[in-house]
Amino acid sequence: MAAIADTQAASGTGRQGPARSLPVWRWVILLVAAVYFLVPLWAALRFAGIKALGSVVTQAGFADALWLSVRLAIVTTVITIVLMLPTAVYVHLRLPQVRRLLEGITILPIVIPPVVLSVGVLQVAPSFLKSTPYLLALIYVILAMPFAYRAIDAGLRALDLKTVVEASNSLGAGWITTLWRVVLPNLKTALLSATVLTVALVLGEFTMASLFLYQTFPVWIVVFDQTSGQISVAASLDALFVTWLFLMAITMFGTRQSRRTGGGEATLFSVARQETRGN
Amino acid sequence: MTTNTASDAAAADGTRPAGGTRGTSVVLQDLSRSFGGTRALDGLSIEIAPGELVALLGPSGCGKTTALRIVAGFESADTGSVLVDGKEISRVPAAKRDMGMVFQSYSLFPNMNALDNVGFGLRMRKLGAAKRRQRAGELLDLVGLAPQAKQFPHQLSGGQQQRVALARALAIEPRVLLLDEPLSALDAKVRLQLREQIRTIQQRLGTTTLFVTHDQEEALSMADRVGVMSHGKLEQIAAPDELYVHPATAFVAEFVGVMNRIPAELGGSGMVSCVSCTVPVKEGDSVTDLGGDNAVDVLVRPEGLNMEVAEHGNGIVTTKTFLGSVTRVGVLLSGDVTVQIDKPSSEAAALAPGTSVSVTLPPEPVLVAPRR
Amino acid sequence: MDQTVAASGAPGSLADPGALGSGPAGRAGPPAKLTAVGVVRWLRRIAGIVPFGVYVTLGLVIPMIAVVIGAFQKPNGGFTMDNIKMATSGVYLHGYEQSIILSVITAILPGIFGLLIAYAIFTAKRGAILRRVAITASGVFANFGGVPLAFLFIATIGSSGLVTQWLSDLGFNPYDHGFNLYDLGGVALVYMYFQIPLMVLVILPALEGLRPAWREAAENLGARTWQYWRHVGGPVLLPSFLGCVLLLFGSALAAYATAEALTSGAIPLTSIQIGSFLNGNVIPGQENVGKALGLGLVIIIAVAMVFYVMLQRRAAKWLR
Repeated sequence: MAAIADTQAASGTGRQGPARSLPVWRWVILLVAAVYFLVPLWAALRFAGIKALGSVVTQAGFADALWLSVRLAIVTTVITIVLMLPTAVYVHLRLPQVRRLLEGITILPIVIPPVVLSVGVLQVAPSFLKSTPYLLALIYVILAMPFAYRAIDAGLRALDLKTVVEASNSLGAGWITTLWRVVLPNLKTALLSATVLTVALVLGEFTMASLFLYQTFPVWIVVFDQTSGQISVAASLDALFVTWLFLMAITMFGTRQSRRTGGGEATLFSVARQETRGN
Repeated sequence: MTTNTASDAAAADGTRPAGGTRGTSVVLQDLSRSFGGTRALDGLSIEIAPGELVALLGPSGCGKTTALRIVAGFESADTGSVLVDGKEISRVPAAKRDMGMVFQSYSLFPNMNALDNVGFGLRMRKLGAAKRRQRAGELLDLVGLAPQAKQFPHQLSGGQQQRVALARALAIEPRVLLLDEPLSALDAKVRLQLREQIRTIQQRLGTTTLFVTHDQEEALSMADRVGVMSHGKLEQIAAPDELYVHPATAFVAEFVGVMNRIPAELGGSGMVSCVSCTVPVKEGDSVTDLGGDNAVDVLVRPEGLNMEVAEHGNGIVTTKTFLGSVTRVGVLLSGDVTVQIDKPSSEAAALAPGTSVSVTLPPEPVLVAPRR
Repeated sequence: MDQTVAASGAPGSLADPGALGSGPAGRAGPPAKLTAVGVVRWLRRIAGIVPFGVYVTLGLVIPMIAVVIGAFQKPNGGFTMDNIKMATSGVYLHGYEQSIILSVITAILPGIFGLLIAYAIFTAKRGAILRRVAITASGVFANFGGVPLAFLFIATIGSSGLVTQWLSDLGFNPYDHGFNLYDLGGVALVYMYFQIPLMVLVILPALEGLRPAWREAAENLGARTWQYWRHVGGPVLLPSFLGCVLLLFGSALAAYATAEALTSGAIPLTSIQIGSFLNGNVIPGQENVGKALGLGLVIIIAVAMVFYVMLQRRAAKWLR
């Protein structure tokens, strides 16, 4: 599942002046961390064998499972954005007092473990919903809500929505025009963030999928372990690699976008304004 | 380049404490520093006398903050040295330099109240708790914030925070006080009050002070001497009035106060003709090389031009800006040159835009600079 | 990170000290006047958030109410405390204990390492690229919980894993000395893999909130590095740090997928036990014990989150 960190004021440029701390210990820590995180990757690679990485695609059930996950991801993302974007904009503009409440509500899915939520959902969901995997998509929206909202909210705050909308209105633009031409273009990075986080969430979600008895991609990996441990490991590596590529691409795209509009470096998890260096 | 010695300047406007040689001298020798490809400082040399307040004034990027940070020990110079009381301190770490620094904003430790903030430096010097509290209390009193002693930074206004920061820097009785644009982040009114307060305290304590700012009004009103910087170089360092009346370079002339630039022609024998007047060129402390060209600009202050209403004059009144006792009149001269002329408001009231006027130079030596 | 959701530790994000000011905005409280016009106007004002409200109610509130009520219900209707009693005794109590111990360990240790790593990244001089790579890497690893992670570790340090074999070749087979990937110790090791990056991500904003001016002011006043950390840096960072550790605690408690993928539900963790109720191997008469277990878990996490919010508020005041 996704984690975000967003920054309010950021220093982007790192420290000026003489380096204070002993550089030695810094590199020791980073080295140890690198070892801890990279060794399992390498071990997995050796275990599965390079060939397996490719042959994952041809295994039984892979295509169906992946396709199911992708479908769920698309549906979830669309619903999430359609739900959260207008709400966030509306609250920013009209109901600022509710913002705190909204932030609190969007924290709830964090407090409630997906396992427990599964129990509740399976209890109350009508059977017509239970018989379609899209029930998962509907619930994934709830899980994705915190991140999507936070990403969009951060984008709106960086935009100073109120001022921009008022300016647009004073120049004669109607609501639709304002939203379409002024607000949305400036939220590209935020929406991109929200999308990527949601997609990553859905593609990696195991708990609810397995408890609802649907074979999404992660579930398939676990089930397939019975057949071939190597394939499962290879599939895991593939998933990891693709996710990484995806996130880096989005980050670079986002940075280029926001640099053009004068924003700062856009990491996936924050949009930092670069401070000018005064003298 | 005019360089008044500090003692002359200080004696002249009487700002140096009488007979006071308490205080430390600070000398910057030939400081240079580059960041990547940019030269932030280019051979900066300044001598600060004991007890003097020197302001470094200049636009963003001129190197003034870099110079200050080098003195403080947060940056190191590529070449050159800093001497305090004649001793080279370039190798001394910042923590041991015994200088008090006030930063631009938000430098108070957020987890301590005002009293503890002020007492921090004393704590580092191992002063006992009771003595610390007492001394910190005295300093908060000095800056007028005794009632706020127990408050935390987030409960204080910007102006109050900076006063606490000042108290904190002074608590350790520093040899040198360094101020890095301390007033930039404050509102206008607070800025004015604080300006006076800082200057008063500095004079009372006689602490040698280096003050960095981009606001010329601030520099001119507070400092014993002002060093105007541009692109890492010191253009001129002199007492405020000296800078105003005898700017050494075109940059200084235009940066300090308002300056008119009027195209003119150099005549022979040290004369220049401008707006159909011929006047001598100011000797001695004039500006940089004119490069042998006869086409120049004359630099003259708004109060240095004469203006009379005339039927077929050489200019037309375009704007009037009311500044209180004086009105600044904008006049369009032939050749598409606009000048600003100050007139007493009572006279200027009668001047309507479109009035034809005649603008002349009084028969006094003028500053001349290469034509831009 | 496992199938848990974690918010950032950004100071001020959970506790925005100020709303945007009222302006033309209305209040979302009950309508001021109970006239028809007043009510209609109020309805129109809150219309914008109704879809959201409905969705959250249907998708979150109602299922949770079902869980809470179900925790107190007998399988055939009627109310009882038996489920609660069952959920807090015997193997289930053991499950809670183990879950909490596991979560505490995998909150504190990654908390400390994560902080050190984040600091190491953040203070690197030529930092920009390193930071970007590290943040993205953290994002990937933090996201990367559950299934794929479990398999990576099986390949590494499972009974026939690569590192296990190396160590055996060197004469030290960890499995002979009590280590087992498939029990709690092993699960803890795997949890670190997503908890540490999570910590890095959530503590970074707090580190960025440490103004350089504080460091310089302290130095200027004569403080050495350790003194700065002891008097200023540490105290200022502490609320954020504790808050993030709490976040990690909640994340670990709620985790399911990793443990499940590793052990197929064999170890006594509350989340796993809850899951087994859905898998159908339930003793008749005890169907609702799973809900009671869920309720307990939610309560524990909620308490942790309350403290988290309080700590973040404190941090926001200082790190603004």
